[in-house]
Amino acid sequence: MRSWVPWLLVLCAGCDVFELHPYEVRGGVRDTNARAVERLERNVSGGAFRFVVLGDIGVYQDDTVDAVRDIARRDVDFVVQMGDLTEFSSAQEYHWVADLLGESAVPTLAVIGNHDLLGQGKELFLHHFGPTFLSFEHGGSRFILFDSNSREYGFPGNVPDLEQLRSALGEVPGGGHLFTFSHVPPGHADFDASLTEPIEQLQAERGVSISFHGHSHRFSTDARRGVRYFCTDALEIHSYLVVTVEGDSVNVEQVSF
Amino acid sequence: MARPWLVGGLLASLLLTGRSARAESPEQAAAPWYVPDHAALQFAGSIGMLAAGPGWAFLDEQLELEVLVGWAPKAVVGADFVTLTLKGQWHPFHLTHREWSFRPFTVGAAFSYTFGDDYYLTLPDRYVSGYYWFKTALRPALLLGGSAGRSVPSLGLRHLEGYYELVATDYRIVQFLQNPSTVKTGLFTLALGARVRF
Repeated sequence: MRSWVPWLLVLCAGCDVFELHPYEVRGGVRDTNARAVERLERNVSGGAFRFVVLGDIGVYQDDTVDAVRDIARRDVDFVVQMGDLTEFSSAQEYHWVADLLGESAVPTLAVIGNHDLLGQGKELFLHHFGPTFLSFEHGGSRFILFDSNSREYGFPGNVPDLEQLRSALGEVPGGGHLFTFSHVPPGHADFDASLTEPIEQLQAERGVSISFHGHSHRFSTDARRGVRYFCTDALEIHSYLVVTVEGDSVNVEQVSF
Repeated sequence: MARPWLVGGLLASLLLTGRSARAESPEQAAAPWYVPDHAALQFAGSIGMLAAGPGWAFLDEQLELEVLVGWAPKAVVGADFVTLTLKGQWHPFHLTHREWSFRPFTVGAAFSYTFGDDYYLTLPDRYVSGYYWFKTALRPALLLGGSAGRSVPSLGLRHLEGYYELVATDYRIVQFLQNPSTVKTGLFTLALGARVRF
């Protein structure tokens, strides 16, 4: 081989046309969640505001493109996607969704789902989206995103991390609302059964307004100990939730696109 | 679980060393079937940054089988990946022009195994059977490509060829079928490589 060939190969390793391994952690859109929060902070709204809760993506990326386009036409401040950004946790799927969500017109954050944790999935999520636990405030309310995919870790007893959740669920200054977001809903077979009662108790004690989830692919809602729980439709069903926060009232609307 | 594959990798490298003995012997035609007749070195293609290994040709070099050991370094891709890949290819056409020979169309398939505890071949106990329908340690892929080569007497090579391959891994194929307008040409990535015939 001529001497320039190795240099050409190193250079080419930076291009998208080459994939060195299905789980390679390399390039692409980074820190999507932190950048969405930053964009949100620049756009402080007074009074009422809206946000969108978007369901599982998996193998429905074209539907997600439609959803993102539909959301851009609405007056909403931000979007939270409920996990299962990918089907295989592959680097390429992470690239596709991080491109789509990271560059969308409305700031968009994502929770980690069980399908996003396979192979080097956790590293890929940290690279493209950031820490799996995230707490931020907007419009006087607090929003907490966390990892509830207990089965992926073999039910170790600290997924979800209730201590971290407890400290994030402190009082909101000004008496705003608390909203939590995690992929697997408490009570599901993939949620650590030993933590179902403690988390429902914790969320009730701290006065969480709504606990949002995905994973089951079908819309459902119920109230447990005075806290409302919502599961969103997966995106092949072409629906998402629009949440309107106005003073003490929180209204959830299921929207089709 | 990784042990039988490690043994396979070792065997493959033994075969590679075995081939130099064969190259020195004058009665090449009498070489037993398991002695490889070529070796390949590949860049990218989802089996490592670099992958190399022996190959065997059948049916007048229309069919080729290769066993490649691949590696991608942590400094480039965030984790050290070591793979063992079985690749089968069919080259239906063979053209020659002066000292050059071309195989303009190649179709093939590959199965690539990734070593390590982060990847499974059979679902770990924490899942019920069928929870995930794919195996994170074993990636099937379809290949399309072509090659051009010639002898390089100055390097003592009977035949050296360069090849390219378009690689469609399982997750790309599934996502392409479901989401053609998102995936588009992302169905494929490119691999480049060289083969030396002994």
